[in-house]
Amino acid sequence: MTQQDNDKAPFFKSWTGWYLFVLLFLLVLIIIFYLITKRFA
Amino acid sequence: MSQLDWIVLVVTLLAIVTYGLYKSRTTHNLDGYFLSNRSLPWGLVLLSIMGTQASAITFLSAPGQAYTDGMRFVQYYFGIPLAMVVICIFFVPIFRGLKVYTAYEFLEKRFDGKTRTLTSFLFLLQRGLSTGISVFAPSIILSSLLGWDIIWTNLFMGGLLIIYTMTGGAKAVAYTQQLQLIVVFTGMFLAGYMVVNMLPPKVGFTDALEVGGKMGKLNVITTGITEKGFNWSDQYNLLSGIIGGFFLALSYFGTDQSQVGRYLTAKSLRESRMGLLMNGIVKVPMQFLILLIGVLVFTFYQFNRAPIFFNDVQVKKIEQSAYRDSFYLVQQQYDSISALKQNAVVAYADARHNNDANLADNSLLTLKELQKNSEGLRNKVKGWLNEKIPGGDGNDTNYIFLRFVVDNLPVGLVGLLIAIIFLASWGSIAAAINSLASCSMVDFHRRFTKKKETGEDEYRLSKLYTLGWGIFCIVVAMFTYNIGNSLIEAVNILGSLFYGVILGVFLVAFFIKKISSGNVVFWAAVLAELLVLSVFVLTKAGVFKMGFLWLNPIGAFGVVAFSLLLQGILNKKETPSVD
Repeated sequence: MTQQDNDKAPFFKSWTGWYLFVLLFLLVLIIIFYLITKRFA
Repeated sequence: MSQLDWIVLVVTLLAIVTYGLYKSRTTHNLDGYFLSNRSLPWGLVLLSIMGTQASAITFLSAPGQAYTDGMRFVQYYFGIPLAMVVICIFFVPIFRGLKVYTAYEFLEKRFDGKTRTLTSFLFLLQRGLSTGISVFAPSIILSSLLGWDIIWTNLFMGGLLIIYTMTGGAKAVAYTQQLQLIVVFTGMFLAGYMVVNMLPPKVGFTDALEVGGKMGKLNVITTGITEKGFNWSDQYNLLSGIIGGFFLALSYFGTDQSQVGRYLTAKSLRESRMGLLMNGIVKVPMQFLILLIGVLVFTFYQFNRAPIFFNDVQVKKIEQSAYRDSFYLVQQQYDSISALKQNAVVAYADARHNNDANLADNSLLTLKELQKNSEGLRNKVKGWLNEKIPGGDGNDTNYIFLRFVVDNLPVGLVGLLIAIIFLASWGSIAAAINSLASCSMVDFHRRFTKKKETGEDEYRLSKLYTLGWGIFCIVVAMFTYNIGNSLIEAVNILGSLFYGVILGVFLVAFFIKKISSGNVVFWAAVLAELLVLSVFVLTKAGVFKMGFLWLNPIGAFGVVAFSLLLQGILNKKETPSVD
């Protein structure tokens, strides 16, 4: 496999793992932001 | 500025230019000049993507935006992680697989040359103009702060970066962005630390958040839903951030050459994807922290006297106008209210520490009432500037953070923060100029000149295009004045006028396989652009109200809908009649 073809996802078995991780991270951030808004309102 | 500040500023700027020139050695062909020979690791790609998106106005406007409107602006970035995922799945593999220089090259392979030319032209138009604003935005602020003529700040801002961008191409852009971001983050972190440090001794970070929150500045999540239903004219809320922000980010990162050109420099598909996904992870928290600095500055000014208006140049205009005496009177009232506010906020902080809920509530009520009064006085001054004083500009959002820096931060740090304005600007402007040159060279020059050129010739011409676009952006900056809104918004509004349509063309290319006619997509794009411009004009004329972020989905879906419609008409014409 050449460097150009290298597409193995690091840390996760596939890129789907990364995609889910990014989306979950966003969800967690939104929840935290919502809690901050409520806490300091 | 002190002598030390000047030394810090000049040394930082010269170090970046020198570093850019040092890193500018690259192969003398288009692959080397525009794509760094597709050799960069994901970390550098990430910093390049971030450095391209985050301009000086990101760092200047955002704290000011939080100061005036609270932190809800962060919702604007919620679409980015979603867009990063979609781009990694659909866009990057195709761009890399076809080994294109520009995103628009793909459209010729999918449709025809005409569609490629149209999208590339729309890109050049909006990116060229918005880069001009990106030169002007920090220049006007520096001009106000340093007392320099705007012509010189424009030339200084745009001129120095042209040296390394022209010499080193994409490689110099990426390496300097790395260094620029390190300096920018260090400076912003120090500024945030200093704000908290300058609060009264008993007032800590959580107290500052309490005050900011109770005064309505920690409104991170807003729904946009009112008693009358969803407010479509509300610029920043959860829904517009996720949907509108998603389409804007998809257009910007997926179809804007200034970004596509960054992740095409990666050494493999994996490195491109990692750079984009990491951007999806770090961008929202980063923006949150920048906005938080604005809230802390707001809290700082509850304990200290705030200027009634943060742009000194505009204040001088009032002082030289017929409103001078009225202004002094308003300022006296404002200062008296400031003193009362300081007492109320200290009483509130003390009551919180002593667990005296009643006193805390009463002090807070007083503080809110006083804040309302002082805002009323500020609005009066803004009104004079907007409506009564020729050449006046009542928007001081971009000046709030810098005014705070110059008035309050220690010697040396002020020079560093001014350097940040230059560095953050250079990062995004250099990438934009590089991408404008690549589109001009690859999408236009290469296609429309009959002369066969060698790699060395193309390299030389690419440098000339880079120089040409650099000069064009400085010229646009010279003619930009008083665009009214916060400058970060002006750039985003300009982008929203074209991005949706460009994205729509790519959506048809990726997802609607049955449409293969270039004519169909071309005319669908033209119609959708007219639709977007009409909607924008109608909202400006007050016919109806709508936030600018919605222009992105309208443009994108407009192209898709018109394409399907035109394809349907074409199919009908081609189907032989049965009778």
